[in-house]
Amino acid sequence: MSTYLKQVKRGISSNPSRTILTTLGIMIGIGTVVLVLSAGEGFKSYINAQVDAFGSNTVIIQTSVPASTKSRNSGSDGSANNSASNAVPITTLKNRDVLDMRSLPNVKNSYGAALGQKVVSYGNISKNTFIFGADSNRFDIDKGVIEKGRGYSSDEDRSLAQVAVLGHDIAVDFFGENDPLGKIIRVGEYNFEVIGTYARRGSFGFSNDDEQVFIPITTLQKKILGVDYLFYAVAELSDNTKADATSLDIADVLRRNHYIQDPAKDDFKVQTQAQSLDTFNTILRAVTFLLIAIAAISLLVGGVGVMNIMYVVVTERIGEIGLKKALGAKYNDILYEFLIEAVLLTLLGGVVGVLGGAAGAFLISKVAQSFGFAWAFVVPLWGVVMAISVSMIIGIIFGVFPARNAARMDPIQALNKE
Amino acid sequence: MLIQLKNIIKSYDNGGVVTNVLKGINLSVAEGEFVAIMGPSGSGKSTMMHIIGFLDRPTTGDYLFDNVDTKNFSDDDLARIRNERIGFVFQSFNLLPRTTVLDNVALPLQYSSKKGDAQARAKSALEAVGLGHRLDFMSNQISGGQKQRVAIARALVCDPKVIFADEPTGNLDSKSGSTVMHILERLNNEGKTIILVTHDTSVAMHAKRIVTIRDGDIVADEAVAEAERLHSKEEEEA
Repeated sequence: MSTYLKQVKRGISSNPSRTILTTLGIMIGIGTVVLVLSAGEGFKSYINAQVDAFGSNTVIIQTSVPASTKSRNSGSDGSANNSASNAVPITTLKNRDVLDMRSLPNVKNSYGAALGQKVVSYGNISKNTFIFGADSNRFDIDKGVIEKGRGYSSDEDRSLAQVAVLGHDIAVDFFGENDPLGKIIRVGEYNFEVIGTYARRGSFGFSNDDEQVFIPITTLQKKILGVDYLFYAVAELSDNTKADATSLDIADVLRRNHYIQDPAKDDFKVQTQAQSLDTFNTILRAVTFLLIAIAAISLLVGGVGVMNIMYVVVTERIGEIGLKKALGAKYNDILYEFLIEAVLLTLLGGVVGVLGGAAGAFLISKVAQSFGFAWAFVVPLWGVVMAISVSMIIGIIFGVFPARNAARMDPIQALNKE
Repeated sequence: MLIQLKNIIKSYDNGGVVTNVLKGINLSVAEGEFVAIMGPSGSGKSTMMHIIGFLDRPTTGDYLFDNVDTKNFSDDDLARIRNERIGFVFQSFNLLPRTTVLDNVALPLQYSSKKGDAQARAKSALEAVGLGHRLDFMSNQISGGQKQRVAIARALVCDPKVIFADEPTGNLDSKSGSTVMHILERLNNEGKTIILVTHDTSVAMHAKRIVTIRDGDIVADEAVAEAERLHSKEEEEA
């Protein structure tokens, strides 16, 4: 084996720039595959973080335009039928629903939430920002970490207290290095006491928790929005493996409360974490598949390039092949020599491609992180193993024809070419 | 008998026109002989050497090597014979470029079933041709005469019975050529069978027997008298 490698090294080193050009197609192909897989994993980590942001083991209850209304309104495919993205507000999800679902055996905790938008000011700084209202229970479920002070209590929630917990960035904007606790900010026409601030979270899709003001849900409903409904609710489960059964139970509770007999007329949608992830994973798989299919074309072209150059190499070394045959090289000796050379060429391309793809994925993760996305840099090991194997298999597939040509060569004709 | 050719015919079919390059060669070579095959170009001497050296197969006729009929040998069987029983020395040396002298000589051992310590064997073969001090030189860093001696070392490394030398002095100046011929003579004295192909009479005179071939037939097969051999050598050295 080491003598084969010596031969191959001699062959490759005879024309290094041609070697690099030959493997370029493989480098690009393998690089793309690794980049797509790694970026996919990064995106998945981001989505997981986003889904997990509502808390582990949770199901989300969103309001939803009933099917009958929906078909009249838009005839859309049902993917955009939550009321937040719809002109028709659904006003039926109430605090009572949140309390009732909490009495189900597998529901450990729950909260309802609503969102408003107001000008918030402190001193001469004012910002138009989202005001997020939720039950005090949210502090037990949500993953956000209170950095300074505390969250509001259920008593404060019930008594419409004007207290606020600030997102990390807005707290810095208002108070800089100063202690924000006990300061009074203005939200719309009301004064609120700052009782806590969040640690930095990073943004999740279209909403950025770091820029928001968090206040008790009843305060938001009664004093800011003037409504009595919720935008969505979250239930935390004791046993997430029973998530599907529990979401059916929750749906039953809501139907009873909303006087709905026909599930087709539901004005809400209960989604487990697995279901949320499923949607994303389906899209991710489709996109990954598409990009890898494109990369496969590059691999094919790269493989043909390697085959082409191996034919050239065989022609260049006809005299050498003749000599080796005269010295006793058998069919397989010559075949393996050229096959190993082809495989090492594609392997070289594969290794460089893996490094390049990983570097690209690292850059993407850094760029995403700089925009505040919780995007992890992950190079899946199975992807690397697959990429390296594929590059070697390409070497075998596209190297075998030129190698067979070489091995079949008639020693005298080959010798006379010298 | 080491080599027995019985009525060997080699013909080529060029689009319906059949050319007989060898027209029924009968030749026997015993172990330890030093035979020169002479003839003008186009006489068929190279084709004959290729057939005797198992680089080519006859169209018809029998070839017994070491008293074994080789007719039904596979390509890999022939490769094994070339590797273990035969050493080749070519006119244009045919060394691998960008490869050390030592690795060039060790090359046949790579294809051998009994490799042993390849480096040590290659080293002793190089010492036998007086190049023990050039082991790590690249094959393009040495002179033509040295290249041909490396080629002889390569032919020797598997300890073959026969050495085929095809115009071994053709690309050399007379001094290097005579060194190469003396090495071949010495190997013959040590018991190796040597078959030399040449068109140069003075080179052929180093052999003990000259077979002349013309138009695909052996036209002369005569022993070289000891006196003539010495005479030719003196002439060469003068």
